Amino acid sequence: MKKLSFLMIVFVLLLGMVSVTVAQDGMMTEIGPGEGQVDIVAWPGYIERGETDANFDWVTSFEAETGCAVNVKTAATSDEMVALMNEGLFDLVTASGDASLRLIYGGRVQAINPDLIPSWSTVDERLQSAPWHTVDVDGDGTVEHYGTPYQWGPNVLMYNTEVFPEAPTSWSVVFEEQTLPDGESNVGRVQAYDGPIHIADAAQYLMYHNPDLGITDPYSLDRDQFNAALDLLRQQRNLVARYWHDAFVQINDFKTEGIVASGSWPFQVNLLKAEGQPIASTVPVEGATGWADTTMMHVNAPHPNCAYMWLEHSLSPKVQGDLAAWFGSVPAVPAACTGNELLTDEGCATNGFEDFEKIRFWRTPTAECGDDRGAVCVPYYEWVTSYIAVIGGR
Amino acid sequence: MAAKSVAVKLIDVCRYFGDVKAVDRLNLEIYDGEFFSLLGPSGSGKTTCLRLIAGFEQATSGSIQLHGQEVAGVPPYERDVNTVFQDYALFPHMTVGQNVAYGLMIKNVPKAEREQRVAEMLDLVRLPGMQNRKPNQLSGGQRQRVALARALVNHPRVLLLDEPLGALDLKLRQQMQIELKAIQQKIGITFIFVTHDQEEALTMSDRLAVFNHGRIEQVGTPAEVYERPQTGFVAGFVGTSNLISGALAQQLTGSAQTFSVRPEKIRMAAPDTSIGAQQCSAAGSIRDVIYLGMHTRYLVQLDAGGDLTVVQQNLETTSMDVLSARGNRVLLLWDKSHNRPVSGEAEG
Amino acid sequence: MSSMPAAPPPTLLRRISTFFFTRPNLSLGLTLALPVLWLGIFYLGALATLLIQSFFRLDGFTGRIIRQFGLQTYQELLLPSNLDIIWRTTIMAAAVTVTCALIAFPLAYYVARYAPYRVKAILYLAVLVPLWSSYLVRVYTWKIILAQEGIISWVVNTLGLGGLLDAVLGIEGIGGPSLSFSLIGTFLVFVYIWLPYMILPINAALERVPKSLVEASADLGAPPGYTFRHVILPLAFPGVVAGSIFTFSLTLGDYIIPGVIGNSSFFIGQVVFAQQGTAGNIPLAAAFTVVPMLIMGVYLMVAKRMGAFDAL
Repeated sequence: MKKLSFLMIVFVLLLGMVSVTVAQDGMMTEIGPGEGQVDIVAWPGYIERGETDANFDWVTSFEAETGCAVNVKTAATSDEMVALMNEGLFDLVTASGDASLRLIYGGRVQAINPDLIPSWSTVDERLQSAPWHTVDVDGDGTVEHYGTPYQWGPNVLMYNTEVFPEAPTSWSVVFEEQTLPDGESNVGRVQAYDGPIHIADAAQYLMYHNPDLGITDPYSLDRDQFNAALDLLRQQRNLVARYWHDAFVQINDFKTEGIVASGSWPFQVNLLKAEGQPIASTVPVEGATGWADTTMMHVNAPHPNCAYMWLEHSLSPKVQGDLAAWFGSVPAVPAACTGNELLTDEGCATNGFEDFEKIRFWRTPTAECGDDRGAVCVPYYEWVTSYIAVIGGR
Repeated sequence: MAAKSVAVKLIDVCRYFGDVKAVDRLNLEIYDGEFFSLLGPSGSGKTTCLRLIAGFEQATSGSIQLHGQEVAGVPPYERDVNTVFQDYALFPHMTVGQNVAYGLMIKNVPKAEREQRVAEMLDLVRLPGMQNRKPNQLSGGQRQRVALARALVNHPRVLLLDEPLGALDLKLRQQMQIELKAIQQKIGITFIFVTHDQEEALTMSDRLAVFNHGRIEQVGTPAEVYERPQTGFVAGFVGTSNLISGALAQQLTGSAQTFSVRPEKIRMAAPDTSIGAQQCSAAGSIRDVIYLGMHTRYLVQLDAGGDLTVVQQNLETTSMDVLSARGNRVLLLWDKSHNRPVSGEAEG
Repeated sequence: MSSMPAAPPPTLLRRISTFFFTRPNLSLGLTLALPVLWLGIFYLGALATLLIQSFFRLDGFTGRIIRQFGLQTYQELLLPSNLDIIWRTTIMAAAVTVTCALIAFPLAYYVARYAPYRVKAILYLAVLVPLWSSYLVRVYTWKIILAQEGIISWVVNTLGLGGLLDAVLGIEGIGGPSLSFSLIGTFLVFVYIWLPYMILPINAALERVPKSLVEASADLGAPPGYTFRHVILPLAFPGVVAGSIFTFSLTLGDYIIPGVIGNSSFFIGQVVFAQQGTAGNIPLAAAFTVVPMLIMGVYLMVAKRMGAFDAL
């Protein structure tokens, strides 16, 4: 909902009408003793303590070492994460790119001090200064880091291998009405994500199939491009009986609701495979959107010392590798790609380590297109309203 | 009573609730235009009998006829009888006028006629102009009259009244007894009146039936039932009676046949009073004295064993006199004609 | 006998009791202080804040709330896509309420009039027990029951009625590929979840209708249908209205059930959640919240005009 314009913020600041408070002044310079707990908002499956599978536990050891009890509140969409952080009771959030800038410009998170995080230097160089968490909010010419990269990965096309003997090559199975390889229509048998960011998936599809629209970035859509994407989504509305929202509900839908194809996360794919379901995933020819998540710290984090300890812990190769194996994601620390038992040495490649350049990472759309078109793009605010309308059949 | 047509006829009517025989082999004829009471203690079956006639209960066996028509299986709303309920059962969401007009509404009586008949009825029960009141704005006696008007406005051939005066205080009850009787005589329809109050039954009824344990003990006019109780129960329930049986009866009458004698029929005389040829006599001493204002009740312990209750009017005596009589030797005298041979046991 | 033992000196507790007993107004004031404060601050205060928020608006450019009174947010509320949501929610609430009333009334009537004591206790328990278990668990359980490969489809297909279910699910607008993916499913779960809130007040109202009134009506010549319409229904109507206030307002505000079961179309509760959640379009969320309040206001006025509260 934030209409985020870097220039605009600067302009507003110059006029002195509104003061944006970011906690740069209060950036910590040393880590004190732990406060005994740390509260984290995370995607489901992101912070495991071995409850689902005893092999996947990167919380217990942290708690034992630091004395900081870890409390996790899972959120199903970026919007929920922003909402939870607005409540202000949490220390950390594993924010995706479509939430991170909103949190930064909304003054909900604080810049972190990389000097306090010894593992900072081990972070994948492609991520260290990624634009979704590295911003010069106050316009003083030096950028600040608003968090530590956690994991990244593609939004894959998950499909049922009994219906698709061969992997579908195009996202058209979820966008265009068609007869699937099993001879039946795809109407009512495919799903789409119910977050407004899904508009970007439609835009990416159009980028490939309808070059006349001139889409270069699925997160920077001018009015015509945006409307074309909405038209595609309205068409998709006739195929989708129910949008997915909760990873575990989607897993159920593939098992009991006859859903055979959907954009999804590697997390669901892995869980379904582990259950022996006929499920596989692919990145079709149009490419994929993806997420790159950053662990960010609330501007008024009640337990900053434990939070810093977690940031450091979250970058350890063991955690990064285990999580990548569990979630089907790619570690933010390349060192995790070798020698991790759960991930195996091929894991990073399988999960898309080399695809970094092909993935269009989630980013909060702003009015400022970020290119020579200027401030003519449709802001996230409208993405929300429009997507609600599309799902409502408008 | 000759040549009167029969309004309600019960033939061998039984109503069982599981093992409980609420009503057991009732046979009864109630005539047109009669004020007929069903009298009995609670649980004696009188209310069940009324509900059988109204149609709220169906007989387990036997036959009920209303004006010669068999009514088994006929629902209440198709019977030409109306009921005044013990709790009045006025519809709380309707005005008095709507309550009284209820039956007429169902019969689609035109509005003008309806209003006229409601007004007449409210006049009859002495509640003129009360149409727009709500039941909860009325006193108990007024509700009673509305319930009566609501039932009578339909011109039923039989009106059933289920202890309608039970909830009223004594004065109001006595006043309503007179009014009810007057209304019944004015409109001339059959009233079947359930009560446990023997005095009420005696005052109001043309005839009455005494119920006990689901059966009728006796049917007759108030005088018949009072004067000539046929069973010990009737003798005890209707008024008070001395019930004498066994050896004492043998000694007094020469027969062991149980008989009753009313306390007011017994004269209390000095021990040396001479005994007439047609008189029974028994000597004893006064054990207890209960002063009741208009009269005094004495409990006399007989020399031959047992007690007799005697009631004497306080013609010339004062309370001081009667209360000092305790312990006095007396001779009890009464006409043999007052001995009523009865069957069965006394109440209680 | 010597003298009576002297009365023991009053204890502190007793002196306090006496102090308050002799000052009834003070006692009353202290008793009411907490509820009044609660009502005033947390209830009316929150309501007022909500109303005020709805007159602010979100600047679409900066994403900040502009704290100036205006009606722009309400203009936005009246966009066709938002009206869709309002209509969808209201129609659902009305359908759920009517259905709950139709199901609850006979059941409540049976319990109040006919059920023997033991059966009555069992039925009360059957109505109440679901309320003791988690609402979320029950909703998710229904998702499984209604699934395409769930128990209902299985039963229907086993009975050879699969065609019928498909026909029902084929209805434009409310159908879908399975019950759990259709508005019919949302409706079924709403009815299930809120039904007890309809049964209990209707039952309470019917229990208070004396049996003699029903008999009196029959006695005066009314067939059962007439008695039902003119005696039982008017007297039980406040119960129906009370129940419908529950089911109607609960459906208007719920955001869990349509989030789990249905065709993903938004309901008011979900929009409120989404709008305040997505970086805080609090004004629009507040305006959306005002909608159910207005609808309930109108609803209560209509009910009052129809005489729903006359028999109270």
